[in-house]
Amino acid sequence: MALDLSSFSEKYPDLLLTALSREGGATAYQLRLPSFQDGRKFKWAELRLPKGFPEYGKAFIQLSPDAVLRIPHLDRDGVLCIEGDPGPGLGYSSEDRIQIVLYGYFEQFLKPWLNGDLDDNFENEALNYWAIAVARARSNTDAVRGVWTIDSPPKKARVRSGLLLIPNRIIIAADEQFRITNRLVQSMGAAAKQRVRVLVADIPISHAFTPSTWPRSMYDLERILQGRLPSEEYSRLQYSRSRRGRGIHRVVLLRNSKVSFSYLLPGGPPTVLDVYRGKKASPSLPKPLPLMTSRLDPDWTAGRDQHPEIKGRQAKHVLVLGGGALGSPVVDHIAKAGVGRISVVDADTMSSANIGRHLLGADSIGQNKVDAIAQRINLAYPATEVTPYAMSTAQWLKKNTLVDVDVVLDLTGEPDVRVQIEQVRLNYPCSLLIGWMEPYVAAAHACMLPAGHKWLKGAQDPLSSLEAVVWPSEVIQQEPGCSSLFQSYTAAAAEHAVALVAESALEMIDNSATVTYGSSVRSWVRGQRFLDKHWPGLTHKEWAKAATIHDGLILNRQFP
Amino acid sequence: MNTKSAELVKLAEQKSPTRLTKSLESFAALREGHITNVRDRLVEYGLWAKALSEANSHIAVDDEEIAAATDAYEEVSNHLATNLSWPLESISIKPQGSVSTKTLIRSPNGSEKFDIDAVCKVDISHIEADNPTSFFESIGKALKDLEAQPKRRCWMIPFAGRRFYLEFTPSIPLNTISEQTLYSMAPRYSVSRYRETALAVVDMPTESWKTSNSEGMSKWVNDTSERRLIRSIAMEANTYDRAAASVAPVPDQAVDITDTLRVAIRLFKRHRDMCTRRGVIDAATKPISVIIVTLLTSCYEGLSDLNRSYEHPVELLDELATLMPHLVLKLGGKYRVDNPTVEGENFAEKWNDDGGERYKSFMAWASALSADLQTILSEKDPQAISKRVREVFGIPAPTDGGNGLTTIQPPAPRATPASRGLA
Repeated sequence: MALDLSSFSEKYPDLLLTALSREGGATAYQLRLPSFQDGRKFKWAELRLPKGFPEYGKAFIQLSPDAVLRIPHLDRDGVLCIEGDPGPGLGYSSEDRIQIVLYGYFEQFLKPWLNGDLDDNFENEALNYWAIAVARARSNTDAVRGVWTIDSPPKKARVRSGLLLIPNRIIIAADEQFRITNRLVQSMGAAAKQRVRVLVADIPISHAFTPSTWPRSMYDLERILQGRLPSEEYSRLQYSRSRRGRGIHRVVLLRNSKVSFSYLLPGGPPTVLDVYRGKKASPSLPKPLPLMTSRLDPDWTAGRDQHPEIKGRQAKHVLVLGGGALGSPVVDHIAKAGVGRISVVDADTMSSANIGRHLLGADSIGQNKVDAIAQRINLAYPATEVTPYAMSTAQWLKKNTLVDVDVVLDLTGEPDVRVQIEQVRLNYPCSLLIGWMEPYVAAAHACMLPAGHKWLKGAQDPLSSLEAVVWPSEVIQQEPGCSSLFQSYTAAAAEHAVALVAESALEMIDNSATVTYGSSVRSWVRGQRFLDKHWPGLTHKEWAKAATIHDGLILNRQFP
Repeated sequence: MNTKSAELVKLAEQKSPTRLTKSLESFAALREGHITNVRDRLVEYGLWAKALSEANSHIAVDDEEIAAATDAYEEVSNHLATNLSWPLESISIKPQGSVSTKTLIRSPNGSEKFDIDAVCKVDISHIEADNPTSFFESIGKALKDLEAQPKRRCWMIPFAGRRFYLEFTPSIPLNTISEQTLYSMAPRYSVSRYRETALAVVDMPTESWKTSNSEGMSKWVNDTSERRLIRSIAMEANTYDRAAASVAPVPDQAVDITDTLRVAIRLFKRHRDMCTRRGVIDAATKPISVIIVTLLTSCYEGLSDLNRSYEHPVELLDELATLMPHLVLKLGGKYRVDNPTVEGENFAEKWNDDGGERYKSFMAWASALSADLQTILSEKDPQAISKRVREVFGIPAPTDGGNGLTTIQPPAPRATPASRGLA
């Protein structure tokens, strides 16, 4: 590579211009180091240009391995992670790019490091550094590959039982008393063939650990365990044996609401792994094994800790009538949003005609829609438990009541269902959302009726009167019935309706305890361009005319 | 002298705790008297003194930073004078707690704010303040612009953008309170030592006055720290730090370790903070500073009352760390760490109704402290000692390097980097 760095010699006298070759075809130029204060030294630093530079790759600074985890902003390989080479294709000359890298090294790294300005930086990205420590300690024969938590950190340190799942080698830091534990085990399927009881010391911490404060030895961990656990729990952790009298796996989980650090303690049973033609046992490690922790609690999986309403949703039971093109993706959305229990009622089976617009696909053809929906969601989202009812609404209502239901979503589009629900709600007042789509999904509506608010106007079903588009009878005649030819919209167009209904449903679910709002209708209405594309001469009703000039508009109305 | 502190020390000694250095190989020569020359002995001690002194200087907050907070006091008193139309001379604000004892320390994460405690003494002969709650609240109202937040006995003023926040305790001199009110105050709290500085502060949870004597407490610490427990200290200073002896006195908050009581308070508090960071003790039940200060000061005072003397501050630190946990009294099944300036106030009151958690934390910390100090004292190589001290007290490596590096001109301005969309 013909790169002339001689122009740098004046500006960067510490850059040695002898090109050295490094692994992977990279070219390295050493950087002369300053005199170091005690404890700030590292062995070497190099400017590295990857193979193919400047056309491919980015220039970077690499430090000697002794700097990793001692000095912040270095990755596992010692590559400096500060703003660096902008890369090819952005109009920078290779000299500019190298200059940016060198400037970053000297001004944003070396000087601040020598001045102590980076000393607190480990704490900001504690888990990145922990990941390095974990990666360094990892081996193929480790008894455990990671720890999953399913609840918030305890207030006080304690010992609890957990499950090691084999062959996945994941520890769930909770036992089967938590339903979510069972759901996670289920979702692992064959990867969790065997469950082994383990003990977990679950200890809250006030600060994220850094390489200088995280426990490095059994001695350090022992000190924490002794200092924090009540003495009887401490002995339980020390002396528990399996039923066969063997050592059991013990994990120390140190966590707060933001970060977790865990360790597998030495002294557990050997790890038995399937190898070519048989099994191979590896003894327990002589020292603690650092592990990564994943949070599987609903606050995290459903809301990344930014949605306090998830706590309330977890306690809710939502009844969804209809598991079709609207119902199935809405169930999916409210499950992702952290609703704790969902019952889905639909008598249909999945057919090939449904594939283009349903949550489910060809792998579910012939199955009851609700069974396949429940299976899919229960496996994917541990925060939610879906119960399927492969029957009509009328049948469901014969066998069940709404007594423990917080919100009903009627997404069947069927007039009979609306009448049935209306009657049942007279005895069991609960919130009801009626959601439906107009042909071509030219409009969609979510009618939100708090407990005690009725849908029917006398004997009159108000559904058609709430619609946005004046539909000629030819279009209506093409409506579904039993025709498998019916396919007048894309899943993409329907997704607007799904989002409208799902958002409205979540609003009702979050507010179902406090009925302070009146009945209302929220509508998604496509504009004239969309209407013209689908049927000549379509027009909006008066109330929906505001949408005409737009591609689509959401409108809110009082329920009449 | 048979003082209360002397009694406490004697009781602690009866439990025959063993000195940290008792069986350390590194200390054999000093301990068993193989080095007879005083000067050589002091040089030997100097190995550890240097590293501990560096740690002490790092954690001490310097005078300039404290001075910055003094302006804040004035700001606060002006606010009060203006908003409450109290005469400015009726309000006096003074630092209390660690600021006034020069034992304020930095938090392990240097970028965190430190908390400056101040007490605001209002002469109520100029104002009406019979009702403690309304007195407390009127002060909070006057400090509304400063976004003061109420706590149990003080107002916390965040001072956004500055290096500190202020915990500001409204109070009135105890002698300005009527006999009747005085009688109705929790009778078990009466002033013992340093009577002239006693105050009444407002205890919001109980909506009543409560005796406080933080100034007396500070005086006690300061008076005690003046007492000499080290033999031939001048010579020792001369030996291991000739330069320091000949130049101007060191800044107040950065005393070297001959000021052993304050050094012990700072280092031990820092060690407690590190134990919290390391998860060894729970932040919610960690030993509070005033307990550490009281135990160490009582211990120091008691040793002095008993006419003990030590060759070197390191030896004294060893003694303080060894005895400290044994100065916690247990009387009638209750833990006691008495406030020496307010009769009947037990700083360890909460230890008696928390299922033993605070006591356990205290003991876990104390044993970690002993073990860590032992690892320091068992090293003899100056570099190893210094490394270990930095690890134990969470002190970053020294910093004055890097200043010799030439400044590099920034490269030509870069195009605005492409921002990342949500994914």
